[in-house]
Amino acid sequence: MDATIITDLFGEFTPIVPMLIMLLGALIMPAVTFGSKRRNAVTAAALVVIAASAAVNIVLLLADYTGTYAELFEYDAFAGLMVLLFQTVAFLVTLVSASSTETTRLHFGAFNALLLAATTGMMFVATANDLITIFVGVELASITSYLLAAMKRNDPRASEAAVKYVIVGGMSTAITIYGLSMLYGVAGTTNIEEIAVALSTQGFSWAFGIALVTMIAGYGFKIAAVPFHMWAPDVYEGSSTPVSAFLATGSKKLGIVVFFKIFLILFVAGTAVASFATEEVQYVFAIIAALTMTVGNVVAIAQNNIKRMLAYSSIAQAGYILIVLAVMSEYALAGGLFHMFTHVFMKGGAFLVVGALICAGVGEKISDYRGLGRRAPFLAFAMLLFLFSLAGIPPLAGFTSKLILFSATIYDGNGVMTQWIWLAFIAILNSAISLYYYARVVKAMYVETGDSEKIKVPKAFTAAIAICVLFTIVLGVYPQLILDFCSDAAAALFG
Amino acid sequence: MFFDIPFEVPYLLTLLLVIPLVGAILTLFMGGKREKYAKYVAGLFSGVTAVLASLLLFTADVGVYNESYTWIETIGLKMSYILQVDGLSILMVFLTGLLVFMVTLFSSKESNRPNYFFALMLAMEVGLMGVYMSADYFLFYIMWEVTLIPMYFMISWYGGPRRHYAAIKFFIYTHVASLVMLIGIFALVFQAASGGVADFSFAAVLAGSFSETFQSLVFLLLFFGFAVKMPAVPFHTWLPDAHTEAPTAGSVLLAGVMLKMGSYGIIRVCLEATPEGAAHWQSLMIAVGLLAIVYGAYACIAQKDLKKMVAFSSISHMGMVMLGIACLSEIGVEWAIFQMFAHGLITAILFMICGMAGHNIGTREIPLLGGIASKMPVFAGFMMFGFMASLGLPGLIGFWAEFGIIFSFYEYGAANSMIWVIVFCLLSLLLTAGYYLWAMQRTLFGRLTAKIDLSHIHDVSRVESIAMGAICAFILLFGFWPDAVLGFIEPYVQGLTSLGVI
Repeated sequence: MDATIITDLFGEFTPIVPMLIMLLGALIMPAVTFGSKRRNAVTAAALVVIAASAAVNIVLLLADYTGTYAELFEYDAFAGLMVLLFQTVAFLVTLVSASSTETTRLHFGAFNALLLAATTGMMFVATANDLITIFVGVELASITSYLLAAMKRNDPRASEAAVKYVIVGGMSTAITIYGLSMLYGVAGTTNIEEIAVALSTQGFSWAFGIALVTMIAGYGFKIAAVPFHMWAPDVYEGSSTPVSAFLATGSKKLGIVVFFKIFLILFVAGTAVASFATEEVQYVFAIIAALTMTVGNVVAIAQNNIKRMLAYSSIAQAGYILIVLAVMSEYALAGGLFHMFTHVFMKGGAFLVVGALICAGVGEKISDYRGLGRRAPFLAFAMLLFLFSLAGIPPLAGFTSKLILFSATIYDGNGVMTQWIWLAFIAILNSAISLYYYARVVKAMYVETGDSEKIKVPKAFTAAIAICVLFTIVLGVYPQLILDFCSDAAAALFG
Repeated sequence: MFFDIPFEVPYLLTLLLVIPLVGAILTLFMGGKREKYAKYVAGLFSGVTAVLASLLLFTADVGVYNESYTWIETIGLKMSYILQVDGLSILMVFLTGLLVFMVTLFSSKESNRPNYFFALMLAMEVGLMGVYMSADYFLFYIMWEVTLIPMYFMISWYGGPRRHYAAIKFFIYTHVASLVMLIGIFALVFQAASGGVADFSFAAVLAGSFSETFQSLVFLLLFFGFAVKMPAVPFHTWLPDAHTEAPTAGSVLLAGVMLKMGSYGIIRVCLEATPEGAAHWQSLMIAVGLLAIVYGAYACIAQKDLKKMVAFSSISHMGMVMLGIACLSEIGVEWAIFQMFAHGLITAILFMICGMAGHNIGTREIPLLGGIASKMPVFAGFMMFGFMASLGLPGLIGFWAEFGIIFSFYEYGAANSMIWVIVFCLLSLLLTAGYYLWAMQRTLFGRLTAKIDLSHIHDVSRVESIAMGAICAFILLFGFWPDAVLGFIEPYVQGLTSLGVI
């Protein structure tokens, strides 16, 4: 496909056009609310904005467009794919937000504006190639997320969640900026690729070590990697469910993208690898990954609240994705990106089912799901698919993406076996553990009996869940739909 | 076999997957008023599948049905949709088609949500057919897992009182085992990768060269995965629970074709891809096999539940298969495959009998039964036939299998100057004859029991006797004419020999 239609129109701004559209949308959304009080109209406007932004992005992505803007943003296959991911998340969440009884009715325009702004922040990070833009993007996404988490004002759990989120988030920002300034001090520049070049001549220094540790800790909070994960279950449980879905599938990916951008470029794509061994850093990530997936899965077994269970399960999923940073190969990155995509549909879908049921008056306890197979056949079947996909049962998307991701620990994509086979054992063992708690929900839905009253669900939820079901199946049997983009993106990041 | 059909059915192997799949989807949606027609739809689709599967028996060169398409091709990975059959798979595919059809007939009286029941059965058939036909590890693993979920629901929806426990135990046990197997598959595929591309097809793995240490490590991973499915003592504990709680149809398919997935995997993957590993661990396999046949037989004696007894007898008979494979000799593997086929047919009869005991009499507890033969002569006839076939009465298919395996095991013992190990086999044969005859004596003969209410007791219905009669006919046919089955096995085993496996 040809991108000239867009480059002609926007000229040098082309790399940031998807973001600009989203930003404009965020700014005009309050005005739309003043113009029309109808929630559906506001949602429609937000969806149009997201769709326009996504359309531009898809055209650029298909045209293999690359370009930079003001030396701060760089659009390539990696950026394009991640932007697409964030747009997908925003689209799904916006679609259901008008119908959800949980999202506030008072400030609906603000809700949509914040959602779009948060997405803009995420897209900022995806396109950034400079520490400053990364930091600004993360902050934009974080601060709007705090507000989103707090918007269910009447619920004390939401307030608690928001306060916790703000405090933890603020602290992680402080730690991060400390690390970023150390890095700037060491390298004398904020451009990541230039930092890599500078480091390759300097070698390892203690200041750089401190920068690494603080950055891992700071962004570790964002992706809720163990031991920085304690906030996540409370926040996901307290927020309204569409927001939980947004945080679990969007915000978490944001931290991971930052990790990919900074660490992969510094250690692999840059030349820093020549001057000092990256193996220690890889081991740090391998241990964090192993801990994160194990703690997430083991603690999830004990949960009775389905939102908390899903929260712990997404901690575990982040652990799987961190394998990429332990292995640091292009093949692993392709698998990781693919898993991030499938995770959007299966975990996002699961949260949406929970949200739909809350709207219909079903509780959040797993025991409330008894007999759901008869009460709401479509929702229960969708949930079954999402959970089995998360557990990695073929032929669903989660299986294919896990297969590629886990195989990266054994195999580097060029016919050479790697040293991370023990990580594959831990990851696969974790998949087995996870099946246990997912199967509990399936058992409650299909095997146990409960109320027999039929459940009616808003149409928007059905539509969004149907999209997730579709992709959970399609990406399982025809992964190349996304996988080719993922390998291109991985190649782009590795240069 | 006797004659070859002169025509080819295009895409036959794909059809064997697609027809049950379409049938499963159609029956799934036949809820509400239409649910009483679900059995006809299921019968039609499983019948067509059975006919198509049996066409393979009459094809001179099954190579014409090979299908191969690239499925996923990305950096460093290649997965394909490859279906092919050889002597080993043809028998299993035929068995699957036959048993699913017979079980559909047998359970046509199912009245509790029959549409789901038959949909699950057909979905299971898709997975089973896929396992036996795929020639790509990716497809193989997918199909392997696809069989799990319908079985889980089959047990937890239609099972006995402790069905929830049994279903989840079955699911977790076999899923963990298949994950271990998956690691083994990864190791094989990635070690065999050449030219920077890890090709998941069987052919690519066979072309790879593996060191002996590598083979013996990977063999253990794969063997564990398959042995749990088979199941080998001490990983068998899921089986008696699953069988006792599963509905009859589930038990028949579980014992008849699903357990065979384990032994099929051992032959297809462990022997073909890691022959040196198999040679290295031969004594382990022998030990596992002997343990299973003796332990299974002893456990049978202690059972009060007829169905649990049959379940343990499956463990014992699958131990025979393991023993045959473990001989790593031409005749050993040959008769092991024969036993897989024979046990599939015989166990179907046995579980149908147990199902009828539960349904028609009202209890499967052996101590509560007695003198049933006078009330239910046809039932008694089938039961005697099934038990005799299982204990190895000459003239029935079970005899040849046990004879062949013990013969090859004797040869192994003689070659390694430890003929005394044959004692275990004889002990097992003795015990097998003992528990079957004893169970028969206690249930069928003697004084009519007064411990249960016999007023509702009724004999075998017509459709049930058709299903069981058909299977009995095959037991008898191949009992007198084992060469028909061996004709498929021989070329396959010769292929193994030429690979240098045995």
